[in-house]
Amino acid sequence: METLTIPPTQSSPAIVADGERGVIEMRGDSYPENSYAFFEPLVAWFQAYLAETDLPLRLELHLLYLNTSSVKIMMDLLDALEDAHQTGREVAVKWFYDAENERIAELANEFKEDCSFPFDILAVEADARP
Amino acid sequence: MDHTDVYLLRETYNQKGILLCFNGPFSQALIEEIGNALRNYMESEAASSSSTRDVFAAYIEIAQNIRQYAALKGYNEAEASATVVIGREGERYVIAAGNVVEPDDGLALIERVNRLASLDKGQLRAQYKERLRTPRDPDATTAGLGLIDIARKASAPLSCSLRPVNAGQRMFFSLRVVL
Repeated sequence: METLTIPPTQSSPAIVADGERGVIEMRGDSYPENSYAFFEPLVAWFQAYLAETDLPLRLELHLLYLNTSSVKIMMDLLDALEDAHQTGREVAVKWFYDAENERIAELANEFKEDCSFPFDILAVEADARP
Repeated sequence: MDHTDVYLLRETYNQKGILLCFNGPFSQALIEEIGNALRNYMESEAASSSSTRDVFAAYIEIAQNIRQYAALKGYNEAEASATVVIGREGERYVIAAGNVVEPDDGLALIERVNRLASLDKGQLRAQYKERLRTPRDPDATTAGLGLIDIARKASAPLSCSLRPVNAGQRMFFSLRVVL
């Protein structure tokens, strides 16, 4: 599948969805004016990847702040990963966070509660802000 | 407005511990710029990382809610005008925000905020999780999670008020959040 690349803005994350590596990377803040419109291309790529391939998929997240509509979209993606996991698909999340950003670690932990696939929450010392 | 008024405004801001005040119609660009200013201001005041993040998050939810409400109602610039004040009270930060709403919406909001104010942190968490699991309305641009999220971050119950404006045709809704 073709790689999807969305450049970052002040209020939306950089996204790279790489089908060859089976990795979706997101980096930055997420509070776009219309989160559903912003994430629509990623959601479409994600659904097509899960439906059209049986390859592993890993989310690598370096997110700093998510507004509630971005949280909702992230929850929907994680639910779909959970469903894929239940059918034997190899899926995983690695959530990297700046060690002093407790709030994003709390959010990541709340997401993790509902996931039974490998979900690592990893503190990094350097400020991840681009 | 003359020079004396500006001085009086400044004195009022200083007395009340107001860090930042905005009065006018929001755009996404303004929301972002004010958010930046807020983050920088709080960092320069050596606020803790968690309180800076909580105040920023509550401000973004409030500002985006107000903007989306005005867009949904097709309000003009004057009607879409909002007032947002961010200040300090001792160790706490306070966000007070107000905007014009339709009377029915205002009453529904008052009820919703009061209901949230009566819940403890555990109940708010349960509500948040439940709402997160509710399939979204395809026409909606918000997740309906904003107020619950603000209530979860707040260090005191939310409070709000409603007063008639435009000869009672509309209401001015104001929300106060202590973080």
